Amino acid sequence: MVHEKLPVPLPFEEVVQRHEREILQYLLRVSGDRDEAADLFQETWLRAYRAYPRLHPESDVRPWLYAIATNLCRNRARNGARRARVIVSNNEVPAAADTTGGPQQSFYETDGYAMVHIRELIAHLPSKQRQAVYLRYVGGLTYTEIAVIMNCSQESARANVSQAVRKLKAAGCEQ
Amino acid sequence: MKIEHLLGSIGTEFAEEAVDALLRRARGKIATALKHIRRPAVAVGVVQSSVGDLLVATSRQGVALIHYVHDGRDIAATLANLRLQFDPVEDRRTVREVGEEVSRYVAGDAKALRQSIDFTLVRNTFQNKILDELQRVPRGAVVSYQALSAAVGVAKGARAVGNTLHANPVPIYLPCHRVIASDGRLGGYVGGTTCKLQLLRSEGFALDDDDTASIANTTVWGRRGTNMYCRADCRVAARAARARIVFFANPEEAQRAGMRPCKICRPG
Repeated sequence: MVHEKLPVPLPFEEVVQRHEREILQYLLRVSGDRDEAADLFQETWLRAYRAYPRLHPESDVRPWLYAIATNLCRNRARNGARRARVIVSNNEVPAAADTTGGPQQSFYETDGYAMVHIRELIAHLPSKQRQAVYLRYVGGLTYTEIAVIMNCSQESARANVSQAVRKLKAAGCEQ
Repeated sequence: MKIEHLLGSIGTEFAEEAVDALLRRARGKIATALKHIRRPAVAVGVVQSSVGDLLVATSRQGVALIHYVHDGRDIAATLANLRLQFDPVEDRRTVREVGEEVSRYVAGDAKALRQSIDFTLVRNTFQNKILDELQRVPRGAVVSYQALSAAVGVAKGARAVGNTLHANPVPIYLPCHRVIASDGRLGGYVGGTTCKLQLLRSEGFALDDDDTASIANTTVWGRRGTNMYCRADCRVAARAARARIVFFANPEEAQRAGMRPCKICRPG
């Protein structure tokens, strides 16, 4: 009896290498704050490493990582730590912009208000809908993956996203 | 602007260079933090040996796991358990040596087992004590579960010894096949009784092929404490406490273990 391949998962380093960029981007975009994102980023990988033995070797790592990152974001918000920035008036330089250097500032000058407005609106959504919206549009995950992360059915993941979008539309985000 | 488009552009103000810089800084920090909670690495692989296929894991300390492969599901569960303590990497070349050593050992080379043993997967101090004591049972001798238990100071721990040996992370290297029932029957084995028979036979015991093989009649009985060995039918042996008995394959093995022959039954 010769065994082709043992069910040994990828080495953790390789997982980090493959996904670190998208996770950091996700955290940056969700938290909107560089320091906080860096913090959460570090915490995400530490938690992931601790929990890695309990992840089934054949299951998908990506939604699992997003789940950890998302849960950390949620905990951080609940603990009353610094929240994602919501209100910045149009002519001030938004806090997030100082990380970006020149070229992106023009982006803020034209679309800035809409962005800030939408962040504020999202912050007021129920937490499930907020999570779902972030995972769908910021993380770019499929509904199947979102369902895994949020521990719900695919239908309810889809419903959460669409209800959130409807609310945002109703609040006049769309111009 | 469409709402989906707007949502898609949340936070895209973070430029690639900023992300890169952040990533570089974070990598160092993560590496430092991980250093403290790092699990040791092990090479794992399935090797072939003359006692069947073995799933083997070796760490830098030595052999951490030997598992008799019965079916694929078995492997998954064992690996899942291994992962709680180690970070496994599949590496057949590193573990192949273990298979070769085992095969040479079963073929009769008494000094074939050279690798050291990693005790990480031993669950608690009781099991540790039992396995320590087990290592003192030499090749060519067997003890009973009862005797092994008594040797670590637990009078009624035969069952617990059985459980410990069932969970033995490194069979063959930790010779749990040298433990039998106190009435001389073979008892069970993680790799199956055929395998136990094969191992014991390679260590010099004359045993029949069936599972009901009894060790008691073909061996000499050594007694801890008095350090004497007798024939199986000696009246001194019959009176001896079972917890003190060590069975030796032949008188030479008993002498090698530092015992002297009984003057009544004069065993070889």
